[in-house]
Amino acid sequence: MIFRADLHLHSCLSPCGGLDMSPSAIVQRARECGLNALALTDHNTARNSPAWQEVCRAYGLAHLFGIEVNTTEEAHILCYFDQLEAVMELDRLIYDSLPNVRNDPVRFGDQVIVNAEEEIEGEVEKYLHGAAAYSVGDLTVLVHELGGLVVPSHVDRDAFSLTSQLGFIPEDDFDALEVSRHYDLESDPLSLRGRYAMLTNSDAHTLDSIGTRFNTFELEAFTVEALYALLHREQQPEATDRSDQCERQKRETHRHP
Amino acid sequence: MKCSDLNGEFEALILPAPESDVSGGYTSDLLSDVMAHARQGDVLITIQSHKNTVAVASLAGISAIILCNSRPVPDDMVEAARQEDINLFRTPNNQFDTSCRIRRLLDA
Repeated sequence: MIFRADLHLHSCLSPCGGLDMSPSAIVQRARECGLNALALTDHNTARNSPAWQEVCRAYGLAHLFGIEVNTTEEAHILCYFDQLEAVMELDRLIYDSLPNVRNDPVRFGDQVIVNAEEEIEGEVEKYLHGAAAYSVGDLTVLVHELGGLVVPSHVDRDAFSLTSQLGFIPEDDFDALEVSRHYDLESDPLSLRGRYAMLTNSDAHTLDSIGTRFNTFELEAFTVEALYALLHREQQPEATDRSDQCERQKRETHRHP
Repeated sequence: MKCSDLNGEFEALILPAPESDVSGGYTSDLLSDVMAHARQGDVLITIQSHKNTVAVASLAGISAIILCNSRPVPDDMVEAARQEDINLFRTPNNQFDTSCRIRRLLDA
């Protein structure tokens, strides 16, 4: 089956995510854009995952659970799971390790947990943009132990990326690297192609940016195991730039050799 | 000043190259900035206690790292410092106070 997957999406639980970014609204918008596989990746939390699972199942969309962890280096790392229990275990460990700084919704934005019907069920107390007490290396080991995939976020960005924080990409056991929607896939200025599997996603914080970038995978099933096998073989997934999103005619920017 | 002169001022976690010269200091928690601007012989004052800091220090020619605020130090960082001949210290003081202390030691 062909999966068109946007694997970096923030819900209303991320302080910087729009309040209209409920799991339900995200999934409906993604379907309008022709996507059929999604991952929810809020900053340092997975507490909208139960609603995410319910909504994705209701619409028949392939989905992963995720967290975009902010490591001690203040580098963002995407962590993906196909089991709700596993992502909630990582959620607990990450949240416990965050600095004890309360969110100020007026300054930083709301951090609301919602259900599948878009009703607010609660708020997360600690400020979710803090740095967790896990280094990139430790997080990579932990996520693999929990059965997940590790993909450093937007490595081309000049903030909160491995390149901005460290100045290099360490030799940890990453499953892929993500490039932002501003990265030129054709010229590949960081020369990533061939060294790592590359993913590109929208990093949507608002409904209108969902699906501006996505990946096309051919898989039997949309699971961590199947994705792992795909990302670690030579034939890489196809990355698509569709900045003019929801346009029917998609521009194929590159195909890996 | 030699790195061995820092021993006693700060808690030495590992001192594989005590005779390395300290000619200056650089204070930053953004390692890409350290890589771009630190000079050979600097001591790095930071809270970034993980093995990647050692990699950056090694590339930049930094002789010693001082970890501030009593940050926990993972074993793999100490091991990396041993392998790279980088001296590793820790202090309960923050980056500002540590930087001032290094300045006074260099001027003494």
